[in-house]
Amino acid sequence: MQYSSIFWWTILWVVSWGVIGGVVTRKVFLRKDLDTSNATLGGSVIGAAFGPIGLIPLWVRVPEITRVMITLSSLVVIGIVAAAFANADPDNNCVSNGSFVASQVTNGLIIGIIYGLMALGLTLIFSILGLVSFAHGAFYMVGGMLVYYIVNVWFPGTHPLIGVFGACVLTFMLGAIFERLFLTPMYDGRVERPVEYGILVTFGLSFTLTYLVAAVAGSNPVKVRRFFDFPRIRLPDASDPWLIKTSRGNMELFDTVSISNPRFVAAVLSILVLLGLLFFLHRTWTGKGLRAVSQDQDAAAITGINPNRMNMLAFSLGCMIAALSGAVLVQAFSWLPIVGQIPEMRSFVIVVLGGLGSLPGAFVGGILVGLVEAAGTGCVPNAQKASSYIPAYGMIILTIMLLLRPMGLFGRKFASGAHGKF
Amino acid sequence: MQRISVPKILSAIAICFGGLSVVSTANAADCPIKLGGLAPLSAPGSVTGGEAMRDAMLLAERDINAAGGVLGCDVKVVIADTEGLPEKARALMEKLITQDNVVAVGGGYHSSVGVAGKDIANDRGIPVVFAETWNDTITGDKQKYIFRIAPLSSWASGVIWQFAAQAPGVKKVAIVTENTDYGIPAAAECEKGLGSKGISSTTFGVDIGTQDFSGIVERIKAEKPDYTIVLLTGEAGYNYTQQAADAGIGPQDMMFHANQAGLESKSWWENVPDGNLAFMARIGVPETMYNARAIKFAADYKAKTGKTGVESYALEAYDSIGVLAQAINEAGSTNGDAIVSALENINHEGALGNIYFPYGTKKDPAADGKGDEWWHQWPDPAITMVQYQKEGESSPGMTIVYPDVYKTGDPIYVD
Repeated sequence: MQYSSIFWWTILWVVSWGVIGGVVTRKVFLRKDLDTSNATLGGSVIGAAFGPIGLIPLWVRVPEITRVMITLSSLVVIGIVAAAFANADPDNNCVSNGSFVASQVTNGLIIGIIYGLMALGLTLIFSILGLVSFAHGAFYMVGGMLVYYIVNVWFPGTHPLIGVFGACVLTFMLGAIFERLFLTPMYDGRVERPVEYGILVTFGLSFTLTYLVAAVAGSNPVKVRRFFDFPRIRLPDASDPWLIKTSRGNMELFDTVSISNPRFVAAVLSILVLLGLLFFLHRTWTGKGLRAVSQDQDAAAITGINPNRMNMLAFSLGCMIAALSGAVLVQAFSWLPIVGQIPEMRSFVIVVLGGLGSLPGAFVGGILVGLVEAAGTGCVPNAQKASSYIPAYGMIILTIMLLLRPMGLFGRKFASGAHGKF
Repeated sequence: MQRISVPKILSAIAICFGGLSVVSTANAADCPIKLGGLAPLSAPGSVTGGEAMRDAMLLAERDINAAGGVLGCDVKVVIADTEGLPEKARALMEKLITQDNVVAVGGGYHSSVGVAGKDIANDRGIPVVFAETWNDTITGDKQKYIFRIAPLSSWASGVIWQFAAQAPGVKKVAIVTENTDYGIPAAAECEKGLGSKGISSTTFGVDIGTQDFSGIVERIKAEKPDYTIVLLTGEAGYNYTQQAADAGIGPQDMMFHANQAGLESKSWWENVPDGNLAFMARIGVPETMYNARAIKFAADYKAKTGKTGVESYALEAYDSIGVLAQAINEAGSTNGDAIVSALENINHEGALGNIYFPYGTKKDPAADGKGDEWWHQWPDPAITMVQYQKEGESSPGMTIVYPDVYKTGDPIYVD
């Protein structure tokens, strides 16, 4: 950076007023016996964005801190930091190259949607069973591996989408069998510490699946061909396709944004799955039953919903969603038995960031992590370090969120018996 | 009564200890004689390379035993999965030495594994002949028990950057490297070499095992390089190359050096379907110039693995075990010091060629004006640049494009 002192002074200013805002605002709200759930976060972002000009009226008038206020202030903070960065490093691609910024944002969104899909399964299981599944990464791996086996080994020539469907069915069944065999002791008091038991037993499942696949498939990387090739499109005309230009493996929009075929297909499938899941949860009796159990198992049981069956369904669905996110990505990444480890850790980050048990939180958290990773990789001036820090970017956001709003973006304080709400 | 003089008593004691020493050596040579074989057989290590090395070392074991073994015993190669992780390497080296009782160690793929494991072996007096670990410091520390038949990183990197520098119109190079003991110095060497030719370069570092390169691909695309050098081992190299190809900066869009894991052609084409025209560095002479041992090994290896060609790291792994077996035979003992002495004087006709170590305790590299990294280093491994020029081509059929002495065809430079 050419003028790094300007940037670091700005960061110091923003952080200082953010800290003052977070600490003092919470105390002010406590003294006035008001709801403090948004006080720390709201005070911090308002302080960081506007300094004393924003904080003093906040402390004097003490209005309710709304999501709109938080969102607008957050955008102002991002703007301040971006302006300071632009001033400090005017030659950085993130400052001087609009095409690059658009591409990074698009890539961040796309990978974020895929992250969100994987985290959805984890949050679904947590919200119903109160279980943090450590087998989530293993199911992600199994999903991709099953597509490979169905398409390349067992039934060569099969369309990959059939492989995806087969992987979903098989992992749903595997999840159901595992839940019946190993998780039911959690519900009926057969184990003394059900939460710890759940963690240990899913850990065991994860190891078993990983090493079973390693034994069967070996540890060489495998991959599935692209699910679809893009049709050749040149718009508005072939000589000057400034709007859209496609080749088999790539799409270019507005002569600037380039999206690879496997990612695009994976993102579209992820969105379709999300929409299908939302429809299932909100428009079907079974889905409403799942939501009811997530809010209060006892009350749901009184109305005739069988919580045990919902537990099985939730775990199976969660496993299937993890497998599905792997299944759509096996065309984008080389696949190995340990391929699920990093996505699993990332899913934990996203779920906590979005709010434990919140489906929208998982999705928004995924997109946020995707965008932050893209921004970090693209904008950190030292090229050698920029992508080395990828795992750290999500953790930084998570740490800030835990400090400012421990229940996450869309989370809520747990009522007794409820693990979350979606 | 005859008086016994003090010198005679001391001589007797010395003979007794000498005898014990012989007995001790004999005990150490209890059959079978065990040799360690390091190979990454699990991710994040390069499994493709590890499996090839394992197969080669087991073939070496078979061939040595078929030829009568070592010191009248069969040889057993104890394969150890390093996972490409330095922390695992230290633990494995301890296990091989203390629990498996190996008398020497061969193999080794990842430099970070070599760097971490060599001190353990050296401290315990167990000779190691590293097969495929390039980092200069492995021999540069001038440790008594450490040898290497792989090329030096600075030397191999030299071939890579020199080839890039002579390619037409190259003014800017992007280097994508892993943050390991192999990748960091290799990238630095390339940057320095390219800089000396007036070519600018930018290095992008990633952690081993990285899958998603979308951000870095866009960043490299924005840099508009003329040539890309990828120094990523294992599946990370595959992932980067295919993602770059999807984004329009792959081997068919620009001049592109891929890591040598791509020499495993079946795995390459499955994971990088758009990987045609990639350049790679290959250790060892072309198959048409193989010696008798290499021809026999290649035939056995292809029959065992079903592959169409032999990867350079398989040749190196085979020879690392072969050279150790010959050294033990020539030492007449499994004693570490004796094996080192034999290695320093060895002339082993291996699959890679005649293996010898000109520098060591007898002659310091400085005597010939060479750096410390030449200590216990085989100076003759051939390095060529090869290129896939047809989709689906097998690695033995790759065109050798550099240097001229081995050249089988002209390179195809993508504009």
